[in-house]
Amino acid sequence: MRVRFWGTRGSLPVAAKAAAVRQKVAQALVLANGRRFSSKAEALAFVDGDLDFAAGNTYGGATSCVEIEGGDGSFIVCDMGSGLREFGLSAAARCSAGHKREYHFFLSHLHWDHIMGFPFFVAAFDSEAIITVHSGHADAETALRRQQEEISFPVPFDWLKAQFRFITLEPGATYDCAGLKVEVIRQYHAHDSYGFRFVDGERTVIYSTDSEHRLGDMEQEARFAAFFAGADVAICDTMYSLADSVTMKEDWGHSSNLVAVDLCHAAAAKRLVLFHHEPAYSDEDIQRMHDETIRYEELMREDRRPLEIICAYDGLELDV
Amino acid sequence: MEWSNRKTAKALIGAGSGRVDEASWESFLSEINAAIVEAAALDLPLVVDLEGIEYMSSRGLRVLTLAKRAADAANVGLTLARPNERMAEILAISRYDRIFTVTQGLEG
Repeated sequence: MRVRFWGTRGSLPVAAKAAAVRQKVAQALVLANGRRFSSKAEALAFVDGDLDFAAGNTYGGATSCVEIEGGDGSFIVCDMGSGLREFGLSAAARCSAGHKREYHFFLSHLHWDHIMGFPFFVAAFDSEAIITVHSGHADAETALRRQQEEISFPVPFDWLKAQFRFITLEPGATYDCAGLKVEVIRQYHAHDSYGFRFVDGERTVIYSTDSEHRLGDMEQEARFAAFFAGADVAICDTMYSLADSVTMKEDWGHSSNLVAVDLCHAAAAKRLVLFHHEPAYSDEDIQRMHDETIRYEELMREDRRPLEIICAYDGLELDV
Repeated sequence: MEWSNRKTAKALIGAGSGRVDEASWESFLSEINAAIVEAAALDLPLVVDLEGIEYMSSRGLRVLTLAKRAADAANVGLTLARPNERMAEILAISRYDRIFTVTQGLEG
C-alpha cells in the first residue's frame, strides 16, 4: 500500500503568505552562513540536510484528501477536501497513461472542508469514469448535490458526466471494496463522522479524522484502540493541544496529539500520522507540535515498541 | 496508583504516587473527587501534590480537568504542586501548565 496526502489542513484552506516565504528565505541564507552552491541540486541537498522542515518547506494548506494506493488498482480516496482538485489532475494524467477510471471515495463526513474539492474534481466530467462514494452518512449524495446548486456553484450536479454510485456503510460490518477489507467506526463530531480501517492483505491503514474523544467518555476509547489494533499507519485528527480540546474547543469535534499517541500505544500501532492541522498554525507551530508529540511518545513509551510519529503535509507519500 | 490526604493550616494536600494511565485513571478520579469533597467540608483549597506521580497519560490529565470542574462547582481552589521533571514536561506539552496553576512548593 502507499498513502498520498493531497490535503492535510483542518477546517479551512490556507496558504503561506509572502511574509512567511520571505522569513524562510532569510533564515536559510543566515543558516547557509556564506556557503556557495554550484548547482540547484547542491542547494536542495542543503535544504534537505541542514534546514528543519518548517524552515525549508511548508506543510501546505489544502483541506483533507488522502489517497490510498492498493487493492484492485482503483483510485481509493478519503475525503474530498480542497486537496481533491490536485488529486484529480494527477489522476487524469495517470488515466491518460492507462490507469483504470474507477474511483472509490470514503467520506469521513459531509462538512464543507471535507467535500469542497468535489466541484473541481475533473474526473466527475469524464463520461468513462465510475465514481463510487462510500459513506457512513445516508445523506452523502444530498450534500454533494446541494453544494452544486446555483446559489453555490455554476455547474449543477446533473451536468456531471461520470457514472455515480452512493453506498452507505454501517459500523460493525466488514466490506469488500476495491480489493480492500473496509470497516467503519462512528466518531463524535457534529452530524457524526466515521473512521475507516482499510486492510490490504497484511497491511492496515486507519483514517480517523474529525473525531473528538470526549472527556466524559474515556471508557469508550477502548473501542477505538480495538479499531486501530495493529495498524501499520494510523492517520489521526490532532488539531488541538489537549488543553484546548478540553477547554474552549471542547465539543468542537476534534482531538489532540496526546490522545492520538495514547490510542496508538494501546492499539500497538506502528506509525501515527498527525493530520487535520489547525488552520491558524504556522509551519513553525506545526513542527513544534510534531516535535512535542515525538517527545510525549518517548515519555510514555515504557517497554512498548517505539511508535513512529509522522507529521502529514500536502505532498507527503508513505509506503506501508 | 496510591493516594493519601493530609490537612495543613492552609490546604488539604492530596498526594498521589505511581503512574496515572489507562489502567489507573478511574482510581485517580475517584480519589481526587473524594479529596475535593473533603476539602469542601474543611473549607480549604486542595493542593494536588504530584511529587510521587511518575507520569500521567492523557487520561490522567483529563481527570485533572474533570477534577477542576468538580472543584470549581464546590468552590474549592485546586492547584498542582511539585511535578517531577517528566511530569513538568508533560504538563507543558499538553499546555496544561496554561490552564492550571502549577507550583514548585506545597504552599498552594
